Amino acid sequence: MARPPSAEVVLGRRQLYMLPTGYGLVFALVLMVLLLVAINYDNALVYALTFWLAAIGIVSMLSTHRNLLGLRLSEGPCSPVFAGDNASFQLRLNNSHGPRRLRVSIEQAKRQVSCVDLRAGEQTCIRLERGSDRRGYLAPPPVVLSTRFPLGLLYAWSRRVALQQRCLVYPRPASSAPLPVTAEARGVPDRGLHPEGEDFLGLREFRRGDSPRHVSWKAMARGRGMLIKQFGGGYRASVWLEWEALTGMATEERLGQLCRWVLDCERAGLQYGLRVPNKTLAPANGEEHRHRCLAALALFPG
Amino acid sequence: MMDRRPDRLGMNSLLLIAALSLAPLVPRLPAWIVLVCAGCLLWRFAVENRAWPGPGRVLRLGLTLVVVAAVLEYYGTLLGRDAGSALLASLLALKFLEVRKLRDCMVALFLCYLLLLAIFLYSQSPAIALYSAVVVVLSMATLVRLNHSTGTDLRYALGLASTLSLKAVPLMLIMFMLFPRIPGTLWGFPGERDGDVTGMSEVMEPGSVRHLSRSYAPVFRVEFDGPVPARSQMYWRALVLWWTDGRRWERGVTSSALDPGLSFARQGAPIKYTVTLEPSRKPWLPALDLPIVAPRGTRTRPGYLLEHRRVSRERQRYTLVSYTRYRTDALDRVERELALQLPAQLSLRVRALARALRRESTDDLGVARAAMDYFRQQPFFYTLEPPLLGDDPVDEFLFSTRRGFCGYFAAAFVTLMRVAGIPSRIVQGYLGGEYNPAGDYWIVRQADAHAWAEVWLPSRGWVRMDPTAAVAPERVELGIDAVRELTLRGFELGQLSSDAVRRLIELGWFAGAWRTMRLYWDLANLQWHRSVLGYDQQRQRHLLRSLRLPELSWRGLLLTLALVLAAAMLLLAVTTRRARRADPVQASYRAFCRKLGRAGIQRHPAEGALAFAARTVAARPDLKASVDSVTALYLRIRYGGLSGVDPVQRLRQQVARFRPRPARQCA
Repeated sequence: MARPPSAEVVLGRRQLYMLPTGYGLVFALVLMVLLLVAINYDNALVYALTFWLAAIGIVSMLSTHRNLLGLRLSEGPCSPVFAGDNASFQLRLNNSHGPRRLRVSIEQAKRQVSCVDLRAGEQTCIRLERGSDRRGYLAPPPVVLSTRFPLGLLYAWSRRVALQQRCLVYPRPASSAPLPVTAEARGVPDRGLHPEGEDFLGLREFRRGDSPRHVSWKAMARGRGMLIKQFGGGYRASVWLEWEALTGMATEERLGQLCRWVLDCERAGLQYGLRVPNKTLAPANGEEHRHRCLAALALFPG
Repeated sequence: MMDRRPDRLGMNSLLLIAALSLAPLVPRLPAWIVLVCAGCLLWRFAVENRAWPGPGRVLRLGLTLVVVAAVLEYYGTLLGRDAGSALLASLLALKFLEVRKLRDCMVALFLCYLLLLAIFLYSQSPAIALYSAVVVVLSMATLVRLNHSTGTDLRYALGLASTLSLKAVPLMLIMFMLFPRIPGTLWGFPGERDGDVTGMSEVMEPGSVRHLSRSYAPVFRVEFDGPVPARSQMYWRALVLWWTDGRRWERGVTSSALDPGLSFARQGAPIKYTVTLEPSRKPWLPALDLPIVAPRGTRTRPGYLLEHRRVSRERQRYTLVSYTRYRTDALDRVERELALQLPAQLSLRVRALARALRRESTDDLGVARAAMDYFRQQPFFYTLEPPLLGDDPVDEFLFSTRRGFCGYFAAAFVTLMRVAGIPSRIVQGYLGGEYNPAGDYWIVRQADAHAWAEVWLPSRGWVRMDPTAAVAPERVELGIDAVRELTLRGFELGQLSSDAVRRLIELGWFAGAWRTMRLYWDLANLQWHRSVLGYDQQRQRHLLRSLRLPELSWRGLLLTLALVLAAAMLLLAVTTRRARRADPVQASYRAFCRKLGRAGIQRHPAEGALAFAARTVAARPDLKASVDSVTALYLRIRYGGLSGVDPVQRLRQQVARFRPRPARQCA
């Protein structure tokens, strides 16, 4: 049974289980044989061997248990995806307290995803994939941590761990359709900087990720280093993407269409606004605006 | 994951463990099994490291059948210690022809533990125990390595295995000391060929044995409690030989009819001592001259001898009380007949010599002394490698070869006495021993075996006469080692003064250190036996009593186990119950889900409350109101920070009122 999700899970005693593996059972059988022979021959060394092996088995139980006990699982960043794509979650395993942990296996739906070794104080990230088919929030797949360390005679595993982490799933974009011409497409004065602007607004230092097209080669030739030409201003088309414009379609289809338009507008560098029932986003442009629009669509009730 | 193939390092360490577990068994196994084992292991080694081709399935199966059949043919059984260990060894080796997966490796490793068991059935020496402990630790490292071929280098695996094994030791000790021991066996010991435990023979045949035993194997160890007799007085009697045909000396059939009593008149002070007897297939228990009582588990035999009731394969300890000065009772008819029995043919020379001795003195003691003088004065030589004798060994020894060891002299002496009409017999046993100052006890070895004579005198009963002492007093006073040493250096026995001999045989620095080390090792062995191997029911009782613990029995142990289990389960039940009761919100919500489940809508284990509610409403719009209300309340209490008794009560009531009709009626 999955526990209610939380941001961080520390594997405690109550989350861990242990059973002998098949090899462990065979080992126990060997011990039984040894014990019977020891009793029959009243052989002190066979007794000692039997009890020593049994004691090693018991002590290794602690090792197996401790290999998982106190391990911290927390969530890593998770970027939104479109419905139909695979959501990729980051599971962070943190060995902040505790000994060196070896061969901790992470299983998702009874399938081993990864097997990690962690030194004391070390942490590692594991990528978990889960297919998304609907828009909205997607929870990470529950995982089970297990280990056969150290002797392979015992198998310890955790309860299914579900983290609070959620991945936002945008609606699946519809196939291309022309932009709504009926939408009010007025020219509005454009403030701020954008590469498609018509007026040259000055130079700035080169930053990583800048397009080489905007490098001012002239300035560079003069020995002023790598500078970027900035543009802005001018008039740009502004588009309203409206829920109401799409009559005669099911909710999901409408959302898919709006999603497609948001992507198209963003790519075309248009100013676009979104109007859905109970929510209106003023026209703007940029990565953040795109995310706000898509999130509004993803979380559209109904 | 289960059927991973182990890497080369794992396989090589497994091969090492197998070789180490097989090695101590090599002297116990027939040569062909050793060859099969070595061949299989080497082949696997070559397959792993030299990329040799592995054996095919037909070959593997054929070889296995042939080897099992051969073991069955060789031993006549597959059970028992010898056949069992041969079978185990060959099966382990054959397993290596097919190890491919982790599973095969694990089976092979577990077989190694059974081989260690087989080794312990042959030897329980501290050296073997230490060796096996090392093998066990290495095997644990191999287990680690086999199961986790990446991330664990060999050093780490070894360190981990040592830590685990060491941590397990206290637990092992507790189990070892408290596990109830039952006397006797479960199914008995299947018959075994015990080639290695040799002992004194029940038959003496001077002239047919070229060498005296040179074995340094201890026969028994003795601790004296009180006065210690002189070494030359340490005659350990084991066996009395009455009957002879001129060559062989035996106990004789009729000797069993004799009175096995221990009655004699005691003289002087008693000597109290404890004997720790090594395992032997012989029943007799050597005792200093005449013991006065038979300890538990033994019985008396005619001739003041002690014998085990049951031949034991274990070491045994006995406390005995003996008198070295005594006077025995009169002879009865059968005894006298036996003690005067002579072979059918006896040479005239021997008869003439006996008559001559008889004329020396009127009383029997004088005659016996005259015989001893005869050996002393005539050129008789004590040697450990005497010439072989023909059909009439007594005649030949007395008149031509005149070289021999204890048995030769004793046989000749007793023959002369009997011809002279004096009842006499041969006693076999051990003379002397080596003192171990480290542990204050004496070690008697196979090499200390000795034979001497006893004559019956009317005035004193049976009296010991050792003709060897007349010829080679060094043997009696200094022991067999001194005799060997002197012979090795070319000195004649009986020619030097005892001080000169002592100086001669004094050990050099290295030999002395070696001897001291040997003696300490022997002490360690003895302690090992006392505290580890000899740990039995009696010692367990003793330990428990000293710890003020109640005595253990099978029933008590089971009862304790059952009680502990019951307590553990009760504790578990209480804690889980409390845990469940501790969260009424979760319980109410679970009840809600159960009700919906009965109505045909199952909540998936990973499904969130909202998603489940949405799915439920989609499937059953008629339940929308109550489902939404319960879910909202649940979420608000659980995550929305709504707390207090009231909301929880409300949730419970709502869930209680919630009675969804099954889906079929609705449709």
